[in-house]
Amino acid sequence: MKPPSEEHDLIRWIDGEMNETEIATFEERLKQDPVLAKEARQMRELSTSLRTHLPAEMRVPHADYFNTQIEVRITQMALDEARAKQASPGLGAMFQWLRQPWFALAGTAALAVLGFFLLNPATGDASESMIISSYTPNTHVQARTYHDSAADATVLILDGLDAVPAERKVSGINIQRSEVEPELASTTMFDSHGTPVLMISRDALGNPMITPRG
Amino acid sequence: MPASASTDPGEVSDLDLVKRSQAGDTRAFDVLVTRYRGRIYAMTYHLIQNETEAWDLAQEAFIKAWRALPTFKHDAGFYTWLYRIAHNVSYDWLRKKKIQGDGEFDDERTEHRVAVGAEATPKGDLAPDAAMTNAELGQRIQQAIAKLSPEHRQVIVLREVEGLAYEEIAALIPCSLGTVMSRLFYARKKLQEQLHDVYETSI
Repeated sequence: MKPPSEEHDLIRWIDGEMNETEIATFEERLKQDPVLAKEARQMRELSTSLRTHLPAEMRVPHADYFNTQIEVRITQMALDEARAKQASPGLGAMFQWLRQPWFALAGTAALAVLGFFLLNPATGDASESMIISSYTPNTHVQARTYHDSAADATVLILDGLDAVPAERKVSGINIQRSEVEPELASTTMFDSHGTPVLMISRDALGNPMITPRG
Repeated sequence: MPASASTDPGEVSDLDLVKRSQAGDTRAFDVLVTRYRGRIYAMTYHLIQNETEAWDLAQEAFIKAWRALPTFKHDAGFYTWLYRIAHNVSYDWLRKKKIQGDGEFDDERTEHRVAVGAEATPKGDLAPDAAMTNAELGQRIQQAIAKLSPEHRQVIVLREVEGLAYEEIAALIPCSLGTVMSRLFYARKKLQEQLHDVYETSI
């Protein structure tokens, strides 16, 4: 075994971390030591191969679902914080879940939207309700929302969705709360009676799966 | 440290998106996730060598980043900061797996036994394959990396994939510069052993 300094010299030579004097000295040594020279060349070639075959950026499997799951978990954290604040008098009234996350299927458009609406906690003003999480398999569809005080309802607008025939029924589900089960990577949503109505999870291939409950 | 992704002139800057995220704008954070998920996933994948676990850990890194956003001071680039979080999440996972002990990561036993200039080629029976395709070589490299210990895998990814300087690797791990160079040496030596048929025939 040779001293660590010799290992370090080899590594620094491969990585181009030597100055010109050090390079000249080390390469002179390589000329005198064919075994070391062979190893140095092989190791440098290995290093080149690693840089070629280990990309710094990769395609993320199910990338849309990757983002959506993050949003769901962030939403859950917001919910947890909201619950904690509700425990203190006065603040609780500022947080309310507005009407409903929507679950809609629109025929060939194959659109599914899950939205979580939350009042702006800073103001408690219903007109500032916002979507804090949504999922649209059709990426051309953008979901946005506003609160219509006259109707006392949150209006969901889906930009980019093909026209939906008037006869098509679109249903909504009134969600009061949700629970995340990290081990199952699933989120269960409950209605005002505490009955589970919807579960979001992944199938064996990691694809998003929305299952009606109850 | 790793640089931010290059942005188009019309693209919203990281700084703007981070400020909006810090104000609670999840849409802005979603843009950051989309911008960096490929790089963060690549890093976790190279470290973990398992698609599903790497996917989960990359996600975990973004969640931790969201939670830590109020403490982000803008004195480092967002990606550098995010990268540190992802690295720590992945490396903690690797260490836990190592502690659980399942026969993996056994390459430390060769450390300090292999000298510079020593014959790195075990007398194995793998036939040299000069015609190995690029894809095959890539697969062999991934397999070889999967056999490295967490410490060796870590320095290889930080140096060869992320291109960090020795000083940056030492600060991130953290450890001394000498340790970084020694680990790089033995990690490469181990990979050379695993891939000896490739490099024996190529020179």
